[in-house]
Amino acid sequence: MKIVVAVKQVPERDAVVRVAADGRSVDESDLAWTMNEPDAYALEEALQLKERAGGGGEVVVLCAGPERVQSTLREALAKGADRAVHVMTPESGEGALAQRDSLDVARLLAEAVRGEAPDLVLTGLQSDDLGAGQTGVVMAELLGVPHATLVLHVELMEGGGGTPKIRVKRELEDGWMQHVEMVLPALLTIQSGGNRLRYATLMGIKKARQKEMREAPAAAAAKRVVEVLKVSPPTRVKQTEMLTGSAEEIATKLVEKLRFEVKVL
Amino acid sequence: MIAMAFYELRLAEPAAFPLAEKMLLVAAIVASLGVFAWRLRPIARNVWGSKKDTDFSLRPVGTRVWTFFWEVLCQAKVIKQRPLPGLAHAFVFWGFLAFALVTLNHVARGFGVGFLQYAGAFGTFYVVFAAVWALLVAVSIAGLFVRRFVVRPKWLGAKVSVESGVIAGLIFWLMATYLAALFVQDGGAAALGLWWVHTLVLLVFLPIIPGTKHLHLVLSPLTVFLKRPEFSQLPKLEGDEDFGLVAGKDLTQMIALQAYSCVECGRCTEHCPASTTGKVLNPKEIVLGVRSYLNENGPGSEMVLLDGAQPALSMEAAFECTTCGACEFQCPVGVQHLPVLIGLRRGAVNTGAWEDKYGTKLFLALEKQGNSLGMSSAERDKFIAKQEFPIFDGSQEYCLWLGCMGSYDPKGREIVSDFARVMRALGTQFGVLKKEKCTGDPARRLGNDLLFGDLAEQGLKAFATAGVKKIVTICPHCVRTMATDWQEYGVAPELEHHSEFMARHAHLLPKQVGENIVYHDPCYLGRYRDVYDEPRTVAATAGDLVEAERHRERSFCCGAGGGLAFLGEESGERVSHVRAKELVATGAQTIGTACPFCNTMFRDALGAVGGEAPPQLLDIAQLVARGLAERSEDADVTIGDN
Repeated sequence: MKIVVAVKQVPERDAVVRVAADGRSVDESDLAWTMNEPDAYALEEALQLKERAGGGGEVVVLCAGPERVQSTLREALAKGADRAVHVMTPESGEGALAQRDSLDVARLLAEAVRGEAPDLVLTGLQSDDLGAGQTGVVMAELLGVPHATLVLHVELMEGGGGTPKIRVKRELEDGWMQHVEMVLPALLTIQSGGNRLRYATLMGIKKARQKEMREAPAAAAAKRVVEVLKVSPPTRVKQTEMLTGSAEEIATKLVEKLRFEVKVL
Repeated sequence: MIAMAFYELRLAEPAAFPLAEKMLLVAAIVASLGVFAWRLRPIARNVWGSKKDTDFSLRPVGTRVWTFFWEVLCQAKVIKQRPLPGLAHAFVFWGFLAFALVTLNHVARGFGVGFLQYAGAFGTFYVVFAAVWALLVAVSIAGLFVRRFVVRPKWLGAKVSVESGVIAGLIFWLMATYLAALFVQDGGAAALGLWWVHTLVLLVFLPIIPGTKHLHLVLSPLTVFLKRPEFSQLPKLEGDEDFGLVAGKDLTQMIALQAYSCVECGRCTEHCPASTTGKVLNPKEIVLGVRSYLNENGPGSEMVLLDGAQPALSMEAAFECTTCGACEFQCPVGVQHLPVLIGLRRGAVNTGAWEDKYGTKLFLALEKQGNSLGMSSAERDKFIAKQEFPIFDGSQEYCLWLGCMGSYDPKGREIVSDFARVMRALGTQFGVLKKEKCTGDPARRLGNDLLFGDLAEQGLKAFATAGVKKIVTICPHCVRTMATDWQEYGVAPELEHHSEFMARHAHLLPKQVGENIVYHDPCYLGRYRDVYDEPRTVAATAGDLVEAERHRERSFCCGAGGGLAFLGEESGERVSHVRAKELVATGAQTIGTACPFCNTMFRDALGAVGGEAPPQLLDIAQLVARGLAERSEDADVTIGDN
């Protein structure tokens, strides 16, 4: 089975994010980058699917962005992906990733996926930076394949008259799960936490150097259908109130507040 | 005859040997040496055929010569760590040395070329000298025999070693025949009989040596001289195929030599915090496992080491090691366990063979958050701001390194804050780095070279960028890792543990009286850095010191090292509970620590085994800061220049 995993490179969790001079984007000059967390889980699910199938098949990792995203692709190769496809976009200006909306990014990725003709496409359900949650599902529409979202686990089903099928476990609200059967090819957006991620190893890094990393040109940017008007940092709304007095008094006040103000008791 | 004076003692020797007996002697010697060589050959081949130690250097020769003199010739470690059997062993060893001349002469005599004139002054002296040693050896070996076969300490293994009994018997016979020859007629039949018995015992003894633990007679002087000079010294991984100890092909000549030198005394196991609390790991069996592996597969084998054919070499055992180094410290024959244990972990982690929920979580936290506790670095920023720690800008003398515990752990933060108060009171200028990442200690000890290398490089760069010249920190693990393990990637600035810093200022620290303090030696400060007196000097300013049963070099681990603080629940009894009970048993009102990991382990342990009124638990910096608080009730003064 051939699986394509589409990943995104996002700023590190602890990064200090500054608004760029145009007021409509983020200043990227001083950021440290990492793999989007749900995408890391998508990669893990793909690797485990391949391992469960006895190691046959191929896991191709796909990422769009400037040169820097190759570190994320290398990381994916080190963790076990077989090869990488890098859709190269300019660092900044016309055609840069930040200038494109979700539809346009999905087009870029779908184009690259089409060339691979995989059985399954996996991607994180959303990105840690923008969190639109659209790239995956739009991609599925563009590719004309069925999709499922919020997926925790994928299982390949045996037999069935030649049509390969999968069974996926979706996370609903409040601990409820839904199990869905789908025909292949399909696209799934993966929820974080379904698997245990693996750590990068020295052997993996060394092997990754030998693996193929193909650069694919990016189509010119399409006209945006979604326009960003303004980016602003969050304003502090949290209020801390110190309760004073004896332990008994504090406990009484705390219960009162939890019951009548916060209304959780 | 009994009454004769000692200077009248003559060693009876046979008269001239007929040719037939000479031929017999030659045949016996050839047979003995032949079997000896035949049995030694595969061992020599296994050692020689193993991978070369690319990091080996004879330097520092002076240290090696000294270690050889002290540990081999003086038997200092053997005696110090197990006084009674140690002394008995030393007598047997020194007796052998004293006997070398007698033995040479004894064999030469068989060919009619004896060179010691037992009638002369030197000869007379030497006969008596050797006789005294013969008595000491005979008594000692008899004592060791009783210990092994009657007392049977469990460290010697559950199975009684028959060969040890045979060897003891042979040594006893060697001495007995020598002593008996003092009391028979020179040149008589009895003298001839004793000569032959003595000779045959020698010739039987020799071929037994290879292939048994008595090989240490031959190998251990060499092993002690050649061992790696640094404690827990880990070799650099070389080339693209080296991931640590994955298979036999990764075992080096040094490891092989040490494995064959093991005398199976079990000191390593006796002092191992894992073995003694009911875990699978047994350091002696690890060494013997490597030895059997080599015996069965030879050097250069592709067979895996961990979870392969050797039951002792299990993944579970390898990851139970706290890297406290008691084994390596105790070993009398120069076996260095840590490069093997950590080497096996490197092999498992660098190839991804080790799968552990907690281990993976730790590695991912170090990868993503850059600290072992998996906290957001913003938490450290807040802590620094709240404590008003100045940011290091090159103008201050010291960079105060917080470490993961000092940055994120509540108790670690208290320790750092108190140490900062002490520095402020002493008028020492210090600053902290704006951002810190873990030194890589847990990654290093767990064998994750990729992660450790990344963290080491980032750390070195951070110090270079900030222009740091001197570092002081509360954490012995950080000190060791930065000062020693980072050397693979560059040279860290000058480093000091806070105990060393405070000890230099001990005369300025407030004097406190009225309580007993028991100081616990952290492994990474004591055995790893040889710092025992400084923290005691500091603790002594705050009260009267008492000692736990095991202290200084023999201190018992708290259970946190080797990355184990971050792994799951341990099997068997908790190491921290055993140590906490020992500390409580001293009756001291306060336990003094000098490592934030020991502190956090004991904090939990005291809750469980501390009894009704557990002792206070304070870092030595907190002990000092407590005195400052008392003193500054009158006036907020700076100590020092007054």
